[in-house]
Amino acid sequence: MTWSKDAAEALADAGVDLIAYLPDSKMDALIDEVVDDSRFETVLVSREEEAIGVLVGAWVGGDRGALLCQSSGLANTFNAIGSLSVPARVPFLGAVTRRGNLGEFNIAQVPAGYNMDKLLDDVGVRNSVVTDSEDLRETVALAGETAFSTQSPYVVLLEQTVTGRKSEATE
Amino acid sequence: MTDARADQYACTESVLDITPDAAVVSNLGVASYVLASVSDSERARNFYQWGSMGVTTAVGLGLAISTDEPVTVLDGDGSLLMSLGTLTTVARYDPDNLTVVVWANDVYGTTGGQSLQASQTDFAGIAENSGLDAVTVRNTEAFADAYRDATESASVTVIVCHVDPVDPDARPPFDFPYIARRARDSLSTDTM
Repeated sequence: MTWSKDAAEALADAGVDLIAYLPDSKMDALIDEVVDDSRFETVLVSREEEAIGVLVGAWVGGDRGALLCQSSGLANTFNAIGSLSVPARVPFLGAVTRRGNLGEFNIAQVPAGYNMDKLLDDVGVRNSVVTDSEDLRETVALAGETAFSTQSPYVVLLEQTVTGRKSEATE
Repeated sequence: MTDARADQYACTESVLDITPDAAVVSNLGVASYVLASVSDSERARNFYQWGSMGVTTAVGLGLAISTDEPVTVLDGDGSLLMSLGTLTTVARYDPDNLTVVVWANDVYGTTGGQSLQASQTDFAGIAENSGLDAVTVRNTEAFADAYRDATESASVTVIVCHVDPVDPDARPPFDFPYIARRARDSLSTDTM
């Protein structure tokens, strides 16, 4: 299976009902999987911070939510995570394409992308980095299991070694 | 333009009178403090926010998608100004059980009453141009009528209600996880 099919199955394994997302070139494959999958309700947001609100509302309504976005977009969510998800103990499962590490050509992706695991640690959100697509399905499913049973958010960062490189650095 | 303004306490009471079963998502600060002032302290379906300014309407959207119960957002003009794009997302999904109230007091009421400096901004016009039904009201009776119509409509209506700034003493519970869990339990276990 492709990484995106693995990830969609893992989201279903975790019991996710509602997925809030913003497009990303690497994330498109997974978004295409989930928007056509009747197991999921999907919500395209205009800014990632909104997604946190939508997922919190979904939890209060009895659903389990997941966030799909890129690491730069996850940086947009920090006030919502730090002042709503974490202190209200409302879980979500994040699957985030991580920029800024091996192979990155764009310096603007580096400060938040490369450091995203540390930024999440500092705001109190547990996280794992997946570098090998063999590990993807189990990691995402286990992340969902612990997020929803401990009622706290958990984010899985997907490296470009899983999702494929964006190759624009030509010289 | 007139200077008439509605009373936020009376309007919030109207919300609870007209939709006693609604889940009410209230913006941090004044909107939540007024809701706490006029609500029974045991009202489980008040999902008070303690933070995340700018995210309140998005919370209401997610809740409205996930429950069949009526959902009302009590947002503030300062909070909405921070996240106008959310109106486009609400229009995209347009859940028939969602109503959005925006208390327009022209100030950042929870941080000391500083001016929004947004008197040129037509929030209802922005909502309409985002694809939503919207109405502006300036007194308590007009609010109650607009709110009743909005809750009976199959589309989301944004009600921009001009109010005088207020500074309530009442506070929601400080236990934030309790607020969220109580709201969730009330929506998932009720059999009505």
